[in-house]
Amino acid sequence: MVVRMRTRRLGRTVLAASLAVALAGLAACSSSSSGSGDKSLTYWSMWKVGEPAQKVMATAIADFQKETGIKVDVQWQGRTNVDKLVPALNTRKVPDLVDQSYIKLYSVLVASSQVRGLPDAYADKVDGATAVSGLVPARYTKNIDITLDGGERWMVPYLLTSDGIWYDKSQHPDIASNPPKTWTEFITLLDKLKAAGGPAPIALDGDITGYNPYWFNTLMERILGPGSWMKIVSDKSGDAWDDPGVLDAAKKVEQLAKGHYFINGYGASKWPAQQQAWASHKASLLFMGSWAPTETGTYAAKGFQYASFPFPATASGRMSARADFIGFAVPKKAKNSSAAQQLAAFLMSKKYQQAFGAEAKQLPVRSDVTVAPDLADVQKALNSAPETYQQNDGVAFPGYNEKVFWPVDDDLVLGKISAEEFVHKLKDATVEYWKQQS
Amino acid sequence: MALAPPRVARSRPPEVETAARAQRTRRRPRPGGPFARERRRLFVPFVGPALLLYLVLFVAPIGGAVWISLHKWPGSGPMQWRGLRNYRRLMHDHLFLTSLTNTLKLLLVVGAAIFVISFALTVVLRDMAGKRGARAVLLFPFLINPIVFGVLAGFIFNPGGLANSLLHGIGIHDTPNWLDRDNMFPLIMVTMTWMTLGYFTTILMAGVDRIPAYYFEDCELAGANAWQRLRYVVLPLTWDVFAVCAVLWTVTSVKIFEIIWIFGGANGSGTPPTQTWTSAVYSYVTAFSGESIPAYGDATASAIISLLLVSVLVVLLRRVMRRDAIHF
Repeated sequence: MVVRMRTRRLGRTVLAASLAVALAGLAACSSSSSGSGDKSLTYWSMWKVGEPAQKVMATAIADFQKETGIKVDVQWQGRTNVDKLVPALNTRKVPDLVDQSYIKLYSVLVASSQVRGLPDAYADKVDGATAVSGLVPARYTKNIDITLDGGERWMVPYLLTSDGIWYDKSQHPDIASNPPKTWTEFITLLDKLKAAGGPAPIALDGDITGYNPYWFNTLMERILGPGSWMKIVSDKSGDAWDDPGVLDAAKKVEQLAKGHYFINGYGASKWPAQQQAWASHKASLLFMGSWAPTETGTYAAKGFQYASFPFPATASGRMSARADFIGFAVPKKAKNSSAAQQLAAFLMSKKYQQAFGAEAKQLPVRSDVTVAPDLADVQKALNSAPETYQQNDGVAFPGYNEKVFWPVDDDLVLGKISAEEFVHKLKDATVEYWKQQS
Repeated sequence: MALAPPRVARSRPPEVETAARAQRTRRRPRPGGPFARERRRLFVPFVGPALLLYLVLFVAPIGGAVWISLHKWPGSGPMQWRGLRNYRRLMHDHLFLTSLTNTLKLLLVVGAAIFVISFALTVVLRDMAGKRGARAVLLFPFLINPIVFGVLAGFIFNPGGLANSLLHGIGIHDTPNWLDRDNMFPLIMVTMTWMTLGYFTTILMAGVDRIPAYYFEDCELAGANAWQRLRYVVLPLTWDVFAVCAVLWTVTSVKIFEIIWIFGGANGSGTPPTQTWTSAVYSYVTAFSGESIPAYGDATASAIISLLLVSVLVVLLRRVMRRDAIHF
């Protein structure tokens, strides 16, 4: 009897509570003053509290809340935010806005058709003048396809990542005045650095499987051009691997590995040991993404002046620059999609783009803002490159990078196999990969 | 003859078992008595909640995983039926087979090392001065998060790390590449042994402490050496504890993940070198690889294979190690 009484009471409480929630919801809807109707939104951020970019983002969000009256519930989750998003997508508790690199968002949201087109964000006028659609340079979207089947764009990119071969200008004024432009000049520079007997020519954290392929992939961009790696990997017959350009790229990586240009012990250290060594002048060059200054800044030697030159051209003469998007996406199930799109557009305003460039040392998407001096060389190279390409040339087939390409590439970079073995092994492994996928 | 291993006959011979079952089936009307009735009445309320929790929290997710493993699925959105093809593919995937071999290496090689050393330690630890302190020291590594060991590995084994500095100090300049991909897994196995040793030694020691002192006095009188003491007293009398430890290790070893993840340089970006992958790492990379489309079907299939592996091993282990409990 007691139990029954209690159940009844509980039932009544639940009913009352749900009524209250429903009423509150109705009230919220009716009193909404903004055009979108959403009063709040949840944002899972890729930035962690304390990072310079997080500080810029937090300021922008505070301004956004003040201006629009929309409450933003931010969770500073860090780079694993999309890993957490995958399981959340199967529930009803989905964030309204997430940000990450294109390749991660594509893998998680687009490949599973869980993403929403963002027409409102693109139509939004930023700083009262230009629409967002006019602020994302077309040269980047030519290589990074952010349109859905219906023609709507699903991503609002607000930052770029690029790369460069980094050095300390205060130590190497000669490189600053005459950076190597061709592969031959590059090798000459390496030989000169090696002969000097001081710091090692190049630092590389060889234990990071994601860093090692930079060399081969960039050489592929130089030798065969953007899109070529994607074409070769996608060829199920494996014939594309016989293109002499593939072997040429591999041979150049082999030349670096066998020529002992990489810092001693690069294949047997733990990140960030080698980039630390570089930042403390134990190596001269570091081929790294545009995040190098922010990542190594805390332990760089006193007076370190970040400078970089673009990866040299090969005999083909092709020049291009890596340009990857970091941007916002809205999951299909998001309840406050219009508020989310409003915030995404808000971040494109010049004020915050400028802050990202100058304070957070990131590369903003807008081309009309200046960046911190550390990134000036990278920005210049990016703006002057005739073509751009994506990281991994856009290859993201399930498990291909981690299980097929990287292990073989590691062996090449670490000098354990020859260029011929590399091409042979990778060709076989790729053909086998497609056989298993079919 | 005091040292003969105690043998105990099985408490219930098979014929008694069948007779009991026959009796159970014959008696249709349930056995009466107020106690038995009360007991039956309480069976559901007592067992029910636990069973329900177990079904909801363990059995249902496993069922879900089996269902996912039969599909191609990027983690959300529509699923595409693949039947047993994910399993068939795994069986042809060299990387998965290497990962599975690594898991088995951890289970068997590290397991053997742990138990050999643990038993050796039990012999020493029983009558050693300051044994409480020694036990605490032994257990200490187990209390530390494996991630610390992963990070520590860098400090010790980096080219400019502690190990090489010490070697340089004594005049050895041709130092090995400790953290080379091919050396990493053996290093992980050594670290795993060191980390887990104290835990199992502590459990085994609890078993050894239960053994009445007169057995050991008897050993002294008979002039038994340490090996004989282990063989004829410690081992038979702690067998049940050992059996539990063996099952615990089997379950633990199949799930080893963090230490490999951190040891292998995945703290920056990317994944650890494939030479060190275990089946758990394989599942994780397949589902959360980061730079390619998640393959939940393959990931769950590999997890299900691990689960089957552990189940078969535990059943086998229980059968092999079955002895009747000795009361003393």
